[in-house]
Formats: sequence, C-alpha cells, structure tokens
Amino acid sequence: MISDITLGQFFPGYSPIHKLDPRTKIILATAFIVAVFMANNPVSFLLLTLGALVLVAVSRLSFKVVFKGIKPIILILLFTALINVFMTSGEGTPLFELGIIKIYTEGIVRAVFMAVRVVILIIGTSVLLTYTTSPISLTDGIESLLSPLKKIGVPVHTFAMMMSIALRFIPTLVEETEKIMNAQKSRGADFTSGSLVNRAKALIPLLIPLFVSSFKRAEELATAMECRCYRGDKNRTKLVKLEYKGRDILWFLIFAAALAILILTTVLPYNLDISGQIYEIVFYQI
Amino acid sequence: MNSILELKDVSYVYSKGTPFEKVALDKVNIAFEKGKITGLIGHTGSGKSTLVGLLNGLNKPTEGTVFLDGVDIWEKPKEISRVRYRVGLVMQYPEYQLFDETVREDIAFAPKNLGLDDVEIEARVRDAASFAGIGEELLDKSPFDLSGGQKRRAAIAGIIAMRPDVLVLDEPAAGLDPRGRSEILGSLRKYADDSSASVILVSHSMEDMAHYCDNVVVMADGRIHSSGTVDEIFSVAEKLSKIGLDVPSVSKIVSALAARGIDLKGKLYTVEGVKDAILEYIKEVNK
Repeated sequence: MISDITLGQFFPGYSPIHKLDPRTKIILATAFIVAVFMANNPVSFLLLTLGALVLVAVSRLSFKVVFKGIKPIILILLFTALINVFMTSGEGTPLFELGIIKIYTEGIVRAVFMAVRVVILIIGTSVLLTYTTSPISLTDGIESLLSPLKKIGVPVHTFAMMMSIALRFIPTLVEETEKIMNAQKSRGADFTSGSLVNRAKALIPLLIPLFVSSFKRAEELATAMECRCYRGDKNRTKLVKLEYKGRDILWFLIFAAALAILILTTVLPYNLDISGQIYEIVFYQI
Repeated sequence: MNSILELKDVSYVYSKGTPFEKVALDKVNIAFEKGKITGLIGHTGSGKSTLVGLLNGLNKPTEGTVFLDGVDIWEKPKEISRVRYRVGLVMQYPEYQLFDETVREDIAFAPKNLGLDDVEIEARVRDAASFAGIGEELLDKSPFDLSGGQKRRAAIAGIIAMRPDVLVLDEPAAGLDPRGRSEILGSLRKYADDSSASVILVSHSMEDMAHYCDNVVVMADGRIHSSGTVDEIFSVAEKLSKIGLDVPSVSKIVSALAARGIDLKGKLYTVEGVKDAILEYIKEVNK
C-alpha cells in the first residue's frame, strides 16, 4: 500500500555511489539531467541507457527496486507517448492513415525518445540521489552548495533545516496514516469503495486525527529544539564536515569524459556511412 | 474446546522481497476461547502487535489461515469488513482515532458503518459509554476536550459499540494512572462474562496478566514460547525471566523466601495469593 512507494526512498548501503560526497552527487545528477536533454539520436540514447545501467550496477541496488520506482508513472508515460504518436506530423507519406488519424515515422520516433528520456531521467537521478543518499546528507549537500547565497541574505540554513525536518517526518507521517487508517478500518470505515463523494467523506476520520497529531508534533518539536537552545545557523558547527575526496574527483572526471563523448555523438553521426532507409529513420533528429 | 478464533500455521513477513524483509511471525498456532480473557505477552518486537493486526483482517497472513468460527476469514476478501465488526480491535493509543465533533458521534461511528437504525445506535452508544465509564455529561463534549484517560475510554467505547464477539486490546492501559488502569482492565472481565465474548489482552505487565487473565500466551521472536492457564504459566516464572520478561513483583518475594528455606504453596503470582500463602505458612509454623 502506502509503504510500497519507493520513489524518493533511501536504501542504505556501502556502494561507491553511497560513499560519494552529497555535493558531488547533486552536481553529477544535474550533469546527468543536462545529458538526458542533450541526447537526440539513437547512439546518444544508447550511451545514456548504458550509463544509467552502469550506475544501477555500481550502486548495488537490485534492478527490481529501481524499476519499481518507475511503475507509478508508466500510465502517464504511455499516455504522453500516444499523444506524441498521434499529434506529430511529419514530411512524406504517413505510415498509417485512418480518417483524420495519421501516424508518421517522426511521431513514433519522438514518442520512443520521449519515453526513454523520462525513464532514464528517473533512474539516473534516483540512483544518484534519493536511493543512495540519506535525506540528512542530501540537505547538508544542498545547504553547502547554496551557501554562497547567504552573502546576499538568503536564509539558506533555515531552508535546509525546514527541508530536513519535512523529509524526516515523511516516514513518520506515513506510519501514522497507516495506523489511523487501521484504527478506522477496525471500526468499519471503508476507504477503497463507494462513489467519489463517499470516498472523500470517508477521508474525514483519517485527516482530522492526522492534522491534530501533526500540529501537536510540530509544537513538541519546536519546544524540544528551543530547549536545546537552537537558534539557527549562527555560530553553529557541524558534526560531519563535507569534504571532497579522491573518489569524488575521479567521478567528476569520469562524468566529464562521458558527457564529452555524448556531446560528440549528438554532432557526429551524420558523417557515419550507413546507407539505406534505416539511416534516415535511425538518425532522424528530433 | 470452545474456541472462537483460531490461528493455524500463521506466518507474517514484512516487506517481502526487499532489503528490509523481516519475519515477524513464524508458524504460529493459537486458539482463543469464548468467555475467557487471554493475555498475550512478549518483548517489544516479539510479534504481538503483528499478530493483533492479523486477528481482525487488517493484514493478511503471508502463510497460514485465521479461522473465525471455523471459517477462513480470507475466504471472501471483499467481506473482510464483516470480520472486523465481529473481532473488535482496540489499537495502541486508540485516542488518536477520535475525530468527530462530539463523543457521542464518535462512538456512533462504528454502529453507523454497521448500518444500524438510529434507535439501535443510540442504545449502543449509551451501553458502550456506560460500560467504558464515560458519563452522560461527557457525551456531548468534543473528544478533544477530554482528559487523556477519558479519551482512551471513549475510544474503547467506540469499539465496544460494535458488540464484537472477540475483543482485542493492544496495551489498553499504557500511559494511564493506576486507577484508570484498574478501571479499564476490570471492565474487561464483565464484558467477557456478559456477552460470552473472547477477550484478548496484549500487555507488557505481568501483574496485569496475573490479575485479569484466564489464559496466557507468551511470545518470543515471532513464535509462541509457551501458553496455558495463568497457573501453568506463572508456576514456571523463571522460564519467563530467561527470555527477558519481568515476573510479577510478588514472585520475586516468593523466590527470595524460598531461598531462605520458606516454601509457600498456592497461587503465588498475585498479591492476594501470596498473602494467603504467607498467612497459611505462619499458621503451619505456629502449630
């Protein structure tokens, strides 16, 4: 049920990716996103897919877990892909024609590229960040990367603290929701059937206790923080200081090389000597 | 045997197939009898709460079967809510489930879901409230204005209003003062007798077990460590301390006396029993 959602869940481990500095991972993930949007032909997409698979393998996460994260978006993905297939008009004769529906090669190519792009995007960023980085070190990384903004008066520390508190309480809230759901189910509440109106009404016995306890918890947390003299980031030192190590530099170099190769593939293929129609379809630029 | 709820070879595994996989229950067999109070005791993480969730069909056993009146409760998964009406479950800290505007409305939530008519609902609310020790004057208050103990009782009344054949309570007295404790636990005997229901009481407290239960089931590491009547279980109290459970305080007095060569006889796990045994012993010595 609720606990089946893996998107955005941290899996503890000791793989090379787990050990990287969170800042490195944030920067690499950004580079990965850029790469995903630069890819525009089969060769570059193949490279990207390969890269994503290597990342999964290096992270030592099971492929099953990683693909489970994609499950929730499959429907949306299919829908967008279909719209792309039907709505894209191209040159030449359509592959298929039925009344106003015309399917062009370009549409299919575009739909496939779009789907592959989104899937790889999710796999790459979740393996680099959410699956392998604990929420705490993730916020540490963000805070450190954004710290230059402090000079112009942006309360970076406060934002980071808010974010880590929010992340910290997601599992608690999920647990609490399940508990209250179970309690109300034990009293015969039905959350899964009935008309839309009835289902919305059925949520009241869930939401009210959830709100009440969330407010209570927030207040308790604030009191507890004040009792320990928390006052923001002034004069505050860190228990774990972030430091770039040799492996971070190595990963930067590997990523830079991979990115360079990818950029090359986006420009070069037109000079490759592949004849026939396959060439036209395969190296069609979107 | 007059059993109503029975578990056969029940296992439960959390997050099967992920790195977090954990076997919480391992081939558990128990039967719960009508009109009896059964205590379920065990360490944190021994599988008590998991077991409780299986009894009324909140969770489905990974393996094995739960029988209610001889019928597999998961035979028709769509009708699982019927099982939930017959097996009333009071969860830990049940006051978190209160949500309605008045205590009356909140207690009426379950009977309303049952589809009863207004007259019957009103009667059940009154019954359940008086049973759980909620005074008339509290019924029209907001549940959020009650004290901790009153909230707990209102929540228990919300389950009792279903008039379940099996009443399961997970740590119903946790965090209450001694008086609230004895009031809530004491009313369970009345419920078991009046409606010949089976009451299942989950608790950490050996004193409560010894005092309020007929039978005791001891759990350890997801298995049944031992089970039997209160007499049987507490006569081998040392076995319990081996798996890290606390024996009733009076048992410590008894074993301290035994170490000094004073052997008492009788029910040596309740305060009354030990008192009688000591008086008996003094009589014997004076003869």
